[in-house]
Amino acid sequence: MNKLKMLILFLTITGLQMNLYSQKFFPYEIKEHSLLNGLKVIVVPYNSPGVVAYYTVVRTGSRNEVEPGKTGFAHFFEHMMFRGTEKYSDVEYNRILKLLGADSNAWTSNDQTVYHIVASADALETIIDIESDRFKNLKYSKEQFQTEAGAILGEYNKSAMNPFQILNEEMQKLAFTTHTYRHTTIGFLEDIKDMPNQYEYSLQFFDRYYRPEYCTIIVVGDVNFNKVIYLIEKYYGDWKKGAFTPNIPVEPEQKEERIKDAKAPYKTLPYLYIGYKVPAFDSKSKEIAALNVISELLFSETSELYQKLVLDEKLVDFISGEMPMDRDPSLFRIFARIKKDEDIEKVKLEIFNAIDKLKNETVSPKKLNDVLSNMKYSFLHSLDNPDAIASTLAYYVSVTGYPQSLDEFYSTLNSLTPDDIQNTAKKIFVKEKRNIVTLTSGGN
Amino acid sequence: MKNSILVIISLAIFTMNLSAQKIKVTALKIEDSPIVSFRIQFRVGSINEPKGKEGLNLLTAKLIAEGGYGEVTYKEMLQKLYPIAGKIRVTADKEVTTFIADIHKDNLEKFWNIFEQVLTNPRMDENDFVRLKDLQMNYIKNTLRRENDENLGKAYLQTMIYEDHPYGWIEAGKISSLKAITLNDVKNFYKQFYTQANLTVGLAGNLSNEFIAKVKRDLSKLPKGKPNTVKLPKPKKIENIEVTLIEKKTPSTAISFGYPIEITRSNKDYYALMVANSYLGEHRTFNGILMNKMRGDRGLNYGDYSYIENFIQDGGSTFPIPNIPRRQQYFSVWIRPVVNANRHFSLRMAIREIENLIKNGIPEKDFQETKQFLLNYSKLWVQTQSRRLGYLMDSEFYGTGYFIDEIAKRLPSLTKKEVDDAIKKYLNYQNIKVVMVTEGANEFASDLISNKVSPITYQHSNISQHILDEDRYIQKYPLKINEKKLKIVKAEEVFE
Repeated sequence: MNKLKMLILFLTITGLQMNLYSQKFFPYEIKEHSLLNGLKVIVVPYNSPGVVAYYTVVRTGSRNEVEPGKTGFAHFFEHMMFRGTEKYSDVEYNRILKLLGADSNAWTSNDQTVYHIVASADALETIIDIESDRFKNLKYSKEQFQTEAGAILGEYNKSAMNPFQILNEEMQKLAFTTHTYRHTTIGFLEDIKDMPNQYEYSLQFFDRYYRPEYCTIIVVGDVNFNKVIYLIEKYYGDWKKGAFTPNIPVEPEQKEERIKDAKAPYKTLPYLYIGYKVPAFDSKSKEIAALNVISELLFSETSELYQKLVLDEKLVDFISGEMPMDRDPSLFRIFARIKKDEDIEKVKLEIFNAIDKLKNETVSPKKLNDVLSNMKYSFLHSLDNPDAIASTLAYYVSVTGYPQSLDEFYSTLNSLTPDDIQNTAKKIFVKEKRNIVTLTSGGN
Repeated sequence: MKNSILVIISLAIFTMNLSAQKIKVTALKIEDSPIVSFRIQFRVGSINEPKGKEGLNLLTAKLIAEGGYGEVTYKEMLQKLYPIAGKIRVTADKEVTTFIADIHKDNLEKFWNIFEQVLTNPRMDENDFVRLKDLQMNYIKNTLRRENDENLGKAYLQTMIYEDHPYGWIEAGKISSLKAITLNDVKNFYKQFYTQANLTVGLAGNLSNEFIAKVKRDLSKLPKGKPNTVKLPKPKKIENIEVTLIEKKTPSTAISFGYPIEITRSNKDYYALMVANSYLGEHRTFNGILMNKMRGDRGLNYGDYSYIENFIQDGGSTFPIPNIPRRQQYFSVWIRPVVNANRHFSLRMAIREIENLIKNGIPEKDFQETKQFLLNYSKLWVQTQSRRLGYLMDSEFYGTGYFIDEIAKRLPSLTKKEVDDAIKKYLNYQNIKVVMVTEGANEFASDLISNKVSPITYQHSNISQHILDEDRYIQKYPLKINEKKLKIVKAEEVFE
């Protein structure tokens, strides 16, 4: 699922300073290979004795859910992929992973579904065998499908009281009128309830997207590149290429501010969510790089705004600003939990004032340098195991299609000047591109 | 599978306990690591809080980590830490409190100079005290009571299991006790408990002996203090099924139940029970029978797990966080939210599965496979140096060898009989405490007491006959509810 944590992880990995890292940001060697059927393979040999992380990135997420009434299917498929094949039933698949002592799971977001296994490097061929089999030959009964729909509803319900689920649902409906980012990854509740009736559609979904041209395998750890490629060719070589390209609707330009006052089904401290329309992720775009720096300048613990609202005046419990990494134009997201209803407007104004200041004053080179330094070290702190490395690459690959985009993005960040920051702030943070959702008490 | 991961880790571990300086250091040397990990632990927790001041330890720990030092305000401290991405986190549990940080070797000296001041000379400013106390109260009032029914249920369960016991309140405290805590209370608590006598220094990475010596020297500025000892009584006996229903408007019901168990990692039976528990409900896997039958076969919810010790998931991973060791532990089952119509059925089903396990034992095939699973899976718990260090420190708390080594040593020779005996000895389905966060609690209470038949509601009609057959037993499975102890509380009033 699209979790705030993942976003935070992304934010920590998006920058560093050229004067400290002269050529490449990513500290490990990336080796690549492509199969004739379009499947891409990325291997990062890493000193993790006996351990391998094996990721399958499917470049399909809730963005691909173009038909009305079918929201949530990318995520549903994440669940169905554990339901077995003729060769390895769901019980047998799970038994194999259990005997390996593997850590195995998956997640889905706007643009991707990512399947991951961490296990003994000795088990690499077994992993490739069972993973290739389910991607090529998934087979499930109608009963299995309908039963799994119950688990999806349970997943929705477990977060039903979570204010971020409510805020995200409201914001996406408000900010997007046409594009599939209008719905959250788990989907609209009415579509989730209807899922048991969509067995035939699920087969079509698999046929469209679970194809080699949509997938990249990432292998990180105690492995030999040639052996990995040999095994992948052996097991995935006969996977048939598909022919489907989704027609993702284009979101029309937003021309005026949109506001929604939502009510929680319970008493709550008020939440504020402000979303500014931003372009799609592009590793070479100065604007995107600048927005990542701005999220730090405006909202990190050392920002004037954080210090005023959280530390000095104590108007909010927390405040954050996040630049997402999405394939299509999306939102720069600002969240705050305010301590009193009567302070909502004041907090909103303080945020707008901080943004205006960034538009009107040039950031000092030292401050810019501090941000880049923080990003670099945050990233390095996080790269301490094969799983973390594979997970980082999975983000870049799923959004851009190629792992070098990580280094490209680094170069772009490094080239930023204080003027780039100011110009980007002026262009992006305008009222007519702004969406505001407040969440306040609606129950007892 | 090879045991190579484990061998390499084990070789690098050593512990120093130089009595002359009275500071215990657990160091894990990893020569090629660019990161240095810290886990600075004090033997102090919520058990040390005086009555009426519950939440004091967490607030103290937070004020140390997030309140500046000496003349340096928290704001100024953040400015110093920011360029080096220095972050000081803290976990405060019942018995220990641990300050955790990772720092790149480029910035080790700069970071340590700040960190040691934070620990030995915290600023404890009124302004930060007010902010952090407010945050702790809002955590109870908003985050716990209103936003996360599952965590609310799990937190409440612990207070029920440990009624009238030093473990009997949550680490965040209560609204009334937090209101009563003053800045002086925090300062005095810090002086009394954050001492050398209660300190264990955990370090991992490319550590020089000089650096280790410096850490010891710097932390010897802490008061010497006395070792912290709080006697723990036996938890209260549970009579039949004691239920608390937390009433709130919600589309689904979060269920947690459990009871105290007599063993911890210190006891050899723990390893047999570990196998049984993994078979019953290994956290966030499809290995457990609860998960397979409740979610897999019936689609009742998102997940169903069981635990033989306090378990807090580490971020988005499937592994527990280290450094929350306790002298007493409890068994628990976590049934993730089910639609309200299936709450009674789900409770019956989970308890019945425990009864089945006690009566039938673990099947031979599952016994062998679960052992193999744990032998391999446990090695993944220590993929980062910081987690390795945490597990090592926990092993010292429990007085055992390195936990991962203990598993590797004990599991291969474990017999099915030992596991079945442990199941019979430590698992029970009759005397347990149950918390359910739900709507319409009065009506549900009557259903529970009268053992009203509770058929499952499916979203579809395409269900296998063997499942429907079993459902007919489950829906009328008798639960011996302790009517006198059945309680209904409002979510807005818990932890008040």
